[in-house]
Amino acid sequence: MVKTADIVIVGGGISGVSIGYFLLKYGAKNVVIIERDFLASGATGRCGAGIRQQWGSPLNCIMSKFSCEFFETAVDELGFDGDIEFHQGGYMMLVTTEKELAQTKKNVALQNSLGIGTKLITPSEAKALAGPLNTEGLLAATFHDRDGHLNPFTTTRAFADAFVRLGGKVYTNTSITGIRTSNGKITGVDTNRGSIATNTVVNAAGGYVQNIADMVGIELPLYSKRHNILVTEPVERVLGPMLMSFSLNFYCQQTPHGSFLMGRTCPDQPRDLRITADSRFPVAMAKTIVKVLPQLKNLRMLRQWAGLYNMSPDNHPIYDQVPGLEGFYLSAGYSGHGFMMSPATGQSMAELILGLPATLPWGQLGFSRFTEGNTIHEPSVV
Amino acid sequence: MLEKTGVPTQSEIESVFPSDERLSKGPVAVIECFQSIPCDPCATACPRGAILPFADINDRPVIDNDKCNGCILCMTKCPGLAIMVVDITWSQDRALIKMPYEFRPLPDVGQTVQALDREGTVVAEAEVIRVQYNKSMNKVPIVSIAVDKQLVKTIRNIRTICDTPTTATHTAIQEEAQDTGIVCRCNDLQLAEIRALIAKGYTTIAELKQMARLGMGPCQGRNCLPVVVNELSRALGVPVAELPVGSFRPMVKSIYLGDLAGYEEQGEN
Amino acid sequence: MIHIDLLIVGAGPAGLMAAKEAGTAGANVLLLERSHVPGGQLVKQTHMFFGSEEQYASYRGFDISEILLDEIKKLPNVKLALNATALAVYDDGIWAAEMDGASYTKILPKAVIIATGAGEKSLAFPGNDLPGVYGAGAVQTLMNQYGIKPANRVVMLGAGNIGLIVSYQLLQAGVEVLAVCDGSPRIGGYLVHAAKLRRMGVPILTSHSVKQAAGQGRLETVVLWELDKAWQGIPGTEKVYRADVLCVAVGLSPLSELLRQAGCEMVYVNTLGGYVPYRDSFLATSRENIFVAGDVAGIEEASSAMVEGRLAGLSAAKFLGLSTPDFNAKRNDCMTQLESLRSGHAGERILSGLAQAVIGS
Repeated sequence: MVKTADIVIVGGGISGVSIGYFLLKYGAKNVVIIERDFLASGATGRCGAGIRQQWGSPLNCIMSKFSCEFFETAVDELGFDGDIEFHQGGYMMLVTTEKELAQTKKNVALQNSLGIGTKLITPSEAKALAGPLNTEGLLAATFHDRDGHLNPFTTTRAFADAFVRLGGKVYTNTSITGIRTSNGKITGVDTNRGSIATNTVVNAAGGYVQNIADMVGIELPLYSKRHNILVTEPVERVLGPMLMSFSLNFYCQQTPHGSFLMGRTCPDQPRDLRITADSRFPVAMAKTIVKVLPQLKNLRMLRQWAGLYNMSPDNHPIYDQVPGLEGFYLSAGYSGHGFMMSPATGQSMAELILGLPATLPWGQLGFSRFTEGNTIHEPSVV
Repeated sequence: MLEKTGVPTQSEIESVFPSDERLSKGPVAVIECFQSIPCDPCATACPRGAILPFADINDRPVIDNDKCNGCILCMTKCPGLAIMVVDITWSQDRALIKMPYEFRPLPDVGQTVQALDREGTVVAEAEVIRVQYNKSMNKVPIVSIAVDKQLVKTIRNIRTICDTPTTATHTAIQEEAQDTGIVCRCNDLQLAEIRALIAKGYTTIAELKQMARLGMGPCQGRNCLPVVVNELSRALGVPVAELPVGSFRPMVKSIYLGDLAGYEEQGEN
Repeated sequence: MIHIDLLIVGAGPAGLMAAKEAGTAGANVLLLERSHVPGGQLVKQTHMFFGSEEQYASYRGFDISEILLDEIKKLPNVKLALNATALAVYDDGIWAAEMDGASYTKILPKAVIIATGAGEKSLAFPGNDLPGVYGAGAVQTLMNQYGIKPANRVVMLGAGNIGLIVSYQLLQAGVEVLAVCDGSPRIGGYLVHAAKLRRMGVPILTSHSVKQAAGQGRLETVVLWELDKAWQGIPGTEKVYRADVLCVAVGLSPLSELLRQAGCEMVYVNTLGGYVPYRDSFLATSRENIFVAGDVAGIEEASSAMVEGRLAGLSAAKFLGLSTPDFNAKRNDCMTQLESLRSGHAGERILSGLAQAVIGS
């Protein structure tokens, strides 16, 4: 294990490897990723891996557009020798209430103004794009054909492989046991395999960011909560787009493997880092999905699991240096969208840490927005 | 040898056979129970107390040959079918052997059958003298055969339907180089694929799940995991007990979404 | 939602005994059995049992199943649900099951006994997915439970008790058993079982394993070869058998998914067949209301499973506050029987395994 590093990234999920990659791409040296288990072993490996650009805030639109375009050429840019399984079957947002329709129209206008080609479509147009869809009760839908979903495991590997090829070091099965500080500055980290002297630590520990912050006595305005997903047996492709609806509270995709993967927001989810199985989720999920995709009643659920959403007060991430501790950076609070935004996360954090000009609006995503009343409103979050 | 082949040696057989003197006095049980196993029904089976009481359930049976009268009661109780009764006084030149026989059809009295040794080799012909089978016999028919007295320590079985068992051939068959054996039936993963992934550094069950969907099909890993943990253990030189095993999630058995959706419960949302 | 004192998963020898004991103590018991007949492996065991009188030694498995079932039927507070599969355990203590014709039912038990038994281990070798390559359990089920002759010519892989017993039962069914082989240099099963096969003329090839199974669309040929001391095949020692079934009996593995889902702490113990729950000597797991019995707690004989079932039934009843006056005597009796069953040479492996899995008391 190295004894010193310029930058230590805590967490080998999609955000950590993306930050690591972009740091090296923009000239940083001696960057280390510390992962307590294996790559993508946390929320990344448990996520729905949907990629969409259909948002209601300009900031999210810009960040997600950057990310989606990155993924389109990621295999080449990262030089990956595998497949990240980017299925660009589009994202279809189902609209079932008048209020939702009004908001949707605003969102589409915003997206179009930012170069995102989302279309507002009729129920019959939706049916033509998603054969199994039950359009009963559907007022309209939006569709953007460049959205889709990815394989989170291979995508993480693609970043990690590129990071290592550029000289980065990844230590898996390695836990941070302490963070050293002196006079309000980071001086190093301790791990179960040795210590590393460094002046810069990036806390990208996903659901566990507070555990890392606890080591330096900092309380973050974030919490982690459980989010449930289930998956079915695989069948031949019958559904192209990824479906999603705020009013119906669900998202669902058919993976390239053929299985249907779906999730929804459940009430009363624990916030104590538990990712155990929720007894109410499978029934509620099934009731929802067989209404939207009636054919799925004949498909068998194989498994449910859960991961952690790291939630921020305004459902937007925090990309910033933690006030009061020089060299301690935070990239967290993605509120369920960390995977799809990960290229923007990497780009933003690299620019922030290396002092580069901002090409993305990460300046709005600092801690100060909470104290200065500049929180960001996003009307389109599950 | 017994442990390797399943056939007791001559000296092992001699060790459980009564003396010639006792044999010459009439029918007596011979118990070929050479291994200490937790089993004791024979010890309480004999109304005459000829099989000595066990101090421990793993004791091997010891017969008081003077008390044994060669009845069949212990034979019908022995789960290992390890007991026979021999009577060399049965006739001038032939001995009677009573043995449990759990095959159908049962032979007919008077029928000539093949007499086999302890390796199943035909060593003589034998005449069926008696076939006992009634409700009190614990579903264990007893067949009595008459055989040459010289063969009383050799014969241990009969065959009523006489055909020659097939033996192995030694011609090689074409090998299919691609096929190393299926490990994960749900996702059609070959052993070689798993080994390649392990060699690439995916050294936990959880990573193999992610990279190859190992154990993520309808069987929920019941088939593949025992094989794969041993592969990992060998490849890494780490005992299985020290390998992380990943998570186990509902459902144990796959269930139709329509059936789940049909479940009604108060307070469910 | 079904509210119940005690949920028992699996109506094999352990589950039936547990239901009988806890039911006798007064617990309201729901006993789930995924098959349409209770008894677990007992129903296809046509051979006489080993063990002692208390564990129905000398009785045949299917008869024992009937005896236990008759006892259960006398207890109105024990409900046996057939075609009933436990599906899930959730973090709020709710269990889900397919039962009473409903595909999905929720159950909230005060205590649970897991007696799910074991599954067969598989082995990777070329051709192992050909039709005709079966687990010994499947062959035994076809033959003894459904009366179907499963094959004409069989090669048996595995000379443990299951391999030996099923080979013998195949012979009884009129099937030719070409050979029994085992990778180990010694016969693992009881030698009396081995002797029964040998005197029928069946060769037992120790230090042998399968090199390949082959055939056009179904199994036609099995190639065995001898193994060296490192368990590697020795070229040139191949023996080719024309068989229509290769029966795989390479051991059992505890069916412990429900224990995992329930969050019970587990440990891998090779001599117990795989991952088993940590438990105290009275069969309570690390989750205070979850108990185990039988093969899921470690692969042993059905005789031990029955005694463990009784012990777990007693422990669960005590947990439920249903201790009977003769509780101590009954528990001591179970402990004595288990000690006795595990006391001999064959028990050494079990005891060494249990030493790794039993904690506290």
